[in-house]
Amino acid sequence: MTGDILDDGPRMIAEGPPRDKVLWQYRTAAAAMRQGKFDLARSLLDDALLTLGGIYGPDSEARKSRSLFSRESRKTFIGEPYERAMAYFYRGVIYWMDGEPDNARACFRSAQFEDSDAATKEFAGDWVLPDYLDGLATTKLGGDGSDALRRARANARNISLPDYNRNANVLFIVEFGPGPLKYATGQYSEQLRFRARSSPLVSARIQTGGVNLAVAPCDDVNFQATTRGGRVMDHVLANQAVFKSATDTFGDAAIISGAIVASQHSRNNVAGEVGLGLVLAGLASKIVSASTTPEADTRTWDNLPQFISFATLNLSPGQHTVTVEFLNAAGKPDPKNTKTLTLNITDANHDKVIFVSDQSTTPQTL
Amino acid sequence: MKHSIIKLILPITTAALVAGCASSGVKNPSGVPVTRMNADEQGFVAGTGIESQDLVAVTDKMARSILGIPQIANAPTPPIVVLDPVDNQTRFPINRDLFLTRIRTQLNSKSAGKVTFLARDRMAALERERNLKREGAVTSSSDPNVQEFLGANYFLTGTLQGLSTRTKAGTSDYILYAFQLIDARTSAIVWEDAAEIKKQGLEDAAYR
Repeated sequence: MTGDILDDGPRMIAEGPPRDKVLWQYRTAAAAMRQGKFDLARSLLDDALLTLGGIYGPDSEARKSRSLFSRESRKTFIGEPYERAMAYFYRGVIYWMDGEPDNARACFRSAQFEDSDAATKEFAGDWVLPDYLDGLATTKLGGDGSDALRRARANARNISLPDYNRNANVLFIVEFGPGPLKYATGQYSEQLRFRARSSPLVSARIQTGGVNLAVAPCDDVNFQATTRGGRVMDHVLANQAVFKSATDTFGDAAIISGAIVASQHSRNNVAGEVGLGLVLAGLASKIVSASTTPEADTRTWDNLPQFISFATLNLSPGQHTVTVEFLNAAGKPDPKNTKTLTLNITDANHDKVIFVSDQSTTPQTL
Repeated sequence: MKHSIIKLILPITTAALVAGCASSGVKNPSGVPVTRMNADEQGFVAGTGIESQDLVAVTDKMARSILGIPQIANAPTPPIVVLDPVDNQTRFPINRDLFLTRIRTQLNSKSAGKVTFLARDRMAALERERNLKREGAVTSSSDPNVQEFLGANYFLTGTLQGLSTRTKAGTSDYILYAFQLIDARTSAIVWEDAAEIKKQGLEDAAYR
């Protein structure tokens, strides 16, 4: 590993464990987008989403990952629903960049769909930006995006979503802050948990010419990761943990009992054999317990952002210099994260989609 | 003593077998050879989205349906049709030209000239060629200054709409493939037909 995701990612995709291929595709695609390498991100996401779309039905590795003696991380990684949603979201952004707002809309709908069966119904399908962009794409395509806008507004927290501006020809997709990490708790690390990483960045500001646009977060990926409720797999792992604990306790009890009984061997030959049997049964139980692996799968798409948002602008054809600042809670920009973009608007009637992250390379010409 | 050794070996063997099962190899370690499939059959790689068998079934149905309408079957001269890209409103990104391309090829190959399609998607190249002829840069078999590009009698277009549900029982995707033939002069819809496909699937519990 070199530490450079654009070196490590392709190598891990080609040479790493097949079960981790999608994980590395996700990570590499996100990094590529931040460096303006959208061709690379497109191909990686396309392949990852093919895997994601074809997981129905029996899968021997997934079945084994549910077994007592195989770790959950044995299964092919496709990510938790918030990770899958972000994969569709990124692909949708690239489709729109490529002038395919209908396919972008399809991806935004799939992103929302990934979140639609949350155990906690209150938080099912509650992404804001995918719905908002679904409606914006529909409006741009000449349809009625009001339903999607209504859904987005219903789910929006602490942000007032503007009406659609059909004439806006520049769409900024903005992301910032570090996304969630997974970790495991419980006696046997069988409980999957998400850790939110703190970030001083809470908003962004886009400036070009006389335009000064404030960009508040639409979606918090940490929130999406932590509000889905339990998984079916959590019950499987909890049962495995109970089994592991029970076999371990039984093993201890059998070994101790057997040893006590066997200690009567000098006085009673039968007791000696029973005692030895108990010790052996206890050892077998301890071996079974030790072989049981209820550890939760903590493989994480670890370069996701915390916040995603958007802004729309109407820019005339020509070259425009845009500055994107990321602000802390006091509204002060962090100079280290300020991005300078040179936009070449060739056609006022053609949407220009700009992706900018606090992790983006700068300057970029788009 | 012999009895005790058997008692010792038995659980150890069992544990070894169990441990061995836990580390068995990956699925299809040697790969799966390339299998040629018919486009209208479901392969071993399947999702709930739009797949080749759906494309074939839908476009075959539409091509047959179009040929039966009086505007096509009884037209004294072949009607001129232009393809207008389908509107994909599903949650599945697709190449939206695929459906109309296949309907066009089916009609062109099976209708014995009952329909004429215009290559509007090639207009840039066609106009360039015409301009070369007008400039005398290339030969022309007719007067290049005469407008010969045809106008359409009909537009063939369609809409793909979806309804998706996900519950504990699995994922369900219903897609309505609706196609229309629109009179370019009057805007009347002279033909419309639809196909419906519903697919359901449930992923392994490890993914739920």
